[in-house]
Amino acid sequence: MQALDFRYNRADLFDHKKVPSMKFPSMVPAALAVMLLAWGAPLQAAEAGNAAAGSQKTSMCKGCHGIPGYHTAFPEVYRVPKLGGQHAAYIAKALEEYRAGNRSHPTMRAVAANLTDKDIADLAAYYGAEAPKTAAK
Amino acid sequence: MRAMIFTMGIALLVGSVQAVAGDAAVGKEKSATCAACHGPDGNSVAPDFPRIAGQHSDYLARALLDYKSGARKNAVMAPMVEKLTKRDIEDLAAYFSQQQGLVTKY
Repeated sequence: MQALDFRYNRADLFDHKKVPSMKFPSMVPAALAVMLLAWGAPLQAAEAGNAAAGSQKTSMCKGCHGIPGYHTAFPEVYRVPKLGGQHAAYIAKALEEYRAGNRSHPTMRAVAANLTDKDIADLAAYYGAEAPKTAAK
Repeated sequence: MRAMIFTMGIALLVGSVQAVAGDAAVGKEKSATCAACHGPDGNSVAPDFPRIAGQHSDYLARALLDYKSGARKNAVMAPMVEKLTKRDIEDLAAYFSQQQGLVTKY
């Protein structure tokens, strides 16, 4: 008998007519706000860079990344990644990892070692500003 | 004898080059897990996940192999590549490299 009572009370908690504070719709804006904040934080960090300033800092990048189909010669041979249209946040993260020594590529570590936070943000903004080719579907 | 060894060497080289070429159609079938973060065609929406559509296939394969060997460390990618075979990696690299997306920017 007691168990039945308990179940009945639990059900009440999910009935918004009986428990106004648990109304589902009122929770939606709050949840959305939290999600938007979490989403917006990295975006804002990426936008701090200046693409125009970044365009003046590519001298160490374009000798490899600016040449279509350019291959690395060391330590292994493969085509260097395309950067145009890449997310700025990802480019910034990659450069930071190279600079900190957490990502291993000898050339990229050497290049990133001399970059300031501002340089990284500007370069990320520059390469991220390129519109990616749209899918031809 | 020398000529024979030379010929065999060339044959091996050609064979290994051909082995690098993955099958994009098969890669598409294997890409469901990738799509969750990188998007169905490799054009990810979330800025923290790199866009891989149109990226060079050999760079993509290199990245996946490095994640697999531990040469490149990433908490998200490490478990993803654990079960991938070399063949899977080549197929996935072929599929995403053939999608429209990234461009070479000077």
